[in-house]
Amino acid sequence: MIKRLSAFAILAAAMAFAQSSSHAPKVEAAPINPVTVKRGASAPVQFQFRVAPGYHINSNKPKSELLIPTVVSLDVPTNISVAKVTYPVGEDLTFPFSPDEKLSVYTGDFTVNAFVHASSTTSNGTYRVHGNLRYQACDNRACYPPTNVPISFDVTVAKPTKTSSTTKKNPAQSPHIHN
Amino acid sequence: MRNAIVLIVVIVVVFFMLVAGRRFRNQATPKTTLTTNNIKNAMTPDFTLKTIDGKEMKLSDLRGKAVLLNFWATWCGPCKIEIPWFMELEKQYASQGLVVVGVAMDDDAKDVVPKFAQEMKIDYPVLFGTEQVADQYGGVEGLPMTFYIGRDGKIVKRIAGLTSHHDIEESIQDALNTPAGQGQTPHALLIPQVAQ
Repeated sequence: MIKRLSAFAILAAAMAFAQSSSHAPKVEAAPINPVTVKRGASAPVQFQFRVAPGYHINSNKPKSELLIPTVVSLDVPTNISVAKVTYPVGEDLTFPFSPDEKLSVYTGDFTVNAFVHASSTTSNGTYRVHGNLRYQACDNRACYPPTNVPISFDVTVAKPTKTSSTTKKNPAQSPHIHN
Repeated sequence: MRNAIVLIVVIVVVFFMLVAGRRFRNQATPKTTLTTNNIKNAMTPDFTLKTIDGKEMKLSDLRGKAVLLNFWATWCGPCKIEIPWFMELEKQYASQGLVVVGVAMDDDAKDVVPKFAQEMKIDYPVLFGTEQVADQYGGVEGLPMTFYIGRDGKIVKRIAGLTSHHDIEESIQDALNTPAGQGQTPHALLIPQVAQ
């Protein structure tokens, strides 16, 4: 409980800090969980973002070619790739500056999902992946220039485990605590 | 005991970030020609920029006219609301000495801005903006941002963000009601580009 409160308090303070500067980022990226992937296999990764209250950003598929889509770009090490990047569907909203036109936007929290793939020739070890979220934010009266939010996460590449052909095991599960 | 320590650390960190944020806000104003504190009656920073039809325009050549200087971008929804109002009001007040100038702040302006201007039938000069000019005008972080410049070349008002037709017209009238000052008489005015 304390940990959860602490995380929210720090995030709130970070956003308050960020918004106090004149070039305030309108989107914050949450820390990304490290990914462990076996050679020759894929593992999911989630990128979580929060749009500051009062702002919206274009979705990945805005309704006009003039609008700048929200895009995650990653610079991955050799033999590692990121695929199946899935963006949430935007909310169709109207705004005071565009009452007759619905815009496809993200507000509040949104998550981009993807899969990290390690080729079978990748050496074991931990690799840092860097990237950014490119977005363009507006509020009800103004729009702000396209901006990047840096993101990074670790990918640990492990040996593929040898499975026995005679015995079937249930897949390993991490323990869950249900309150 | 451990939880209490974590909580104290969090409180200290949050307190520090809030205090630092407040201090940073006060120091964050970039060193530019215009800041939020010296807008009114400040002399307009001069610039020469290229128009979308390949000419050059020097702002100080418009001295003696009231100028509506609008920073905008094609990706800015609120900007699209104001542009037709600017065209309408320029027609209405041109005989009294109003000139509207648009400064497009798109990164890939050369491709998209002329097309957009044609689609919107913008009939006043549209210039390709630069970071340097934006800095001269205080950073122009949010768009639209409009400066109303008097006949004497001094800034009458700056309006950040979308505003009402009424406020725009009132600001134009304020700019027109300024004395001509000792600046240059207007010359070399560009022929407004008319979208075909």
